[in-house]
Amino acid sequence: MIESNLSLDIEEIEKTYHENPLEFFKDKRLCLFKACLEAYFPGVRWGIQDLLEELDLEVGTCASQSCCSGTFFQRNLITRAQFAAINERNLYELNQQADVVLFSCNGCYNSLLRGREFLKTQEVSQKTNEIFDRLKKKVGGNNPEKYEILETPNVRFIHDLDFLYLIRDDLLNSLKFDLKNLKVAIHYGCHYLNLSRDKRNVEPYLRDKTKLDDLIRLFGGNPVEYQEKESCCGWGASQLLINPREALKITFNKLKSAETVGADFMVTPCPTCLYTLSKPDFRKKMSKWYGDKLDIPTIHLNELISILRGCEEERCISLKQKTPRIEEIFDIITQD
Amino acid sequence: MDVNSNSNWNWDFYEELVDDVEDNKNIIQCISCGKCVGDCPAAKISNFNIRKIIGKVLRGDKSVLKDSDIWYCFLCERCKRVCPKDNINIPLLIINLRNESFKKGFGPRYNDLRKYVEMSERFLTSGVVVEEPLGGPLFQERVEELNEICNFARIKYVFKASDTNKNRNKRKKKP
Repeated sequence: MIESNLSLDIEEIEKTYHENPLEFFKDKRLCLFKACLEAYFPGVRWGIQDLLEELDLEVGTCASQSCCSGTFFQRNLITRAQFAAINERNLYELNQQADVVLFSCNGCYNSLLRGREFLKTQEVSQKTNEIFDRLKKKVGGNNPEKYEILETPNVRFIHDLDFLYLIRDDLLNSLKFDLKNLKVAIHYGCHYLNLSRDKRNVEPYLRDKTKLDDLIRLFGGNPVEYQEKESCCGWGASQLLINPREALKITFNKLKSAETVGADFMVTPCPTCLYTLSKPDFRKKMSKWYGDKLDIPTIHLNELISILRGCEEERCISLKQKTPRIEEIFDIITQD
Repeated sequence: MDVNSNSNWNWDFYEELVDDVEDNKNIIQCISCGKCVGDCPAAKISNFNIRKIIGKVLRGDKSVLKDSDIWYCFLCERCKRVCPKDNINIPLLIINLRNESFKKGFGPRYNDLRKYVEMSERFLTSGVVVEEPLGGPLFQERVEELNEICNFARIKYVFKASDTNKNRNKRKKKP
């Protein structure tokens, strides 16, 4: 029987380690899942890595991990069985070297959960096994067990946002600055907010999706309600490529809605959403197509934590995809 | 409003889709409440209407494969979250319909695989989708595994069209 839900049981940790949930992670090997889009926002990886190291946790990345391949499945370029096989290949490697895997990207998190879910279907697991049989013959080498579906892996998954919320007391202790009552528009991202792989299993672990609102309040910020708070960033798998005008209209509406209520910046726990919301070329196109120039800064939660912890600007804020006025926000937060 | 009755239902298309992806059998539970449409980002900027699409599938109306509508879905999964039924997987249905549309060669604007050449090429040569991944690409010997997994997939056909692959083949031909 394949164990399909590999999410870490947050509720159980809170119950067992109610004094200090960080204790649960102290003797665990942690691994950061490498999201492709962190290449544009290195501060997303560094932000969580630096924090974990400061908290004396054992943290690393997995050299043998590939892209989660969710983007190829969503674009009809690979089948469910191929997607599941890529997923299982990554899972085998992660299971070898980690007890807990942390995800900075909603898409990757969703992919790893979805890949396991697909294996519940006999047809998909059979085809995935056939792919692995082929792999054993062609590239199996000395480790044919690498190409097996793991029935009950030990490794467990947690999204960075859920993790940061869980260890919020220790997180707050590590902060040097606060948000000085800045107005913050929160964007959770669809594949966090709508995560409903198995409504009866995963949802209770995630519980109310207000963790980012709560964290921003704890950081001394003021989360603002805006009309498009729960709407998509506009990425929409292939939408930015095949229907760019329509996709960017969604992005525009979201940013405009946040600007209208006076948000100083927007924060998200996903680098893919951040890419869509912040890319200078997209901002230019939106201005050209829809008339309004939007200059609301956008930032990933991990980058924001680095700023609040007093890290150097280069370590916090993305160097390659800077959004308008992000330095302004950096300066306001880091003023003594 | 679309009205389904026994007289205008045709199960052939539905059965084909269920044969392909078993989860699709659950769309029969749809009660046409429209919650999925009300909360859908694509419905705000296009004619994408999942309730109508499900209706067409249940009536055996294959014109849905030719419509541009199915290509507007953002796969955001909001419909799956708000659906009052537990097991209707709309995003998976859309991916399945797009797959059928691909196979039949409909909708050239949407099926233009050239748009995916770069990302496919990066994945099959370095295991990631960006040019300079943080921490470096996947080891070459492990990339071979991905290539093997993706055999006969659409991504392979896209990759074959890429410049890198053409140059590789040219290099191989040299004595």
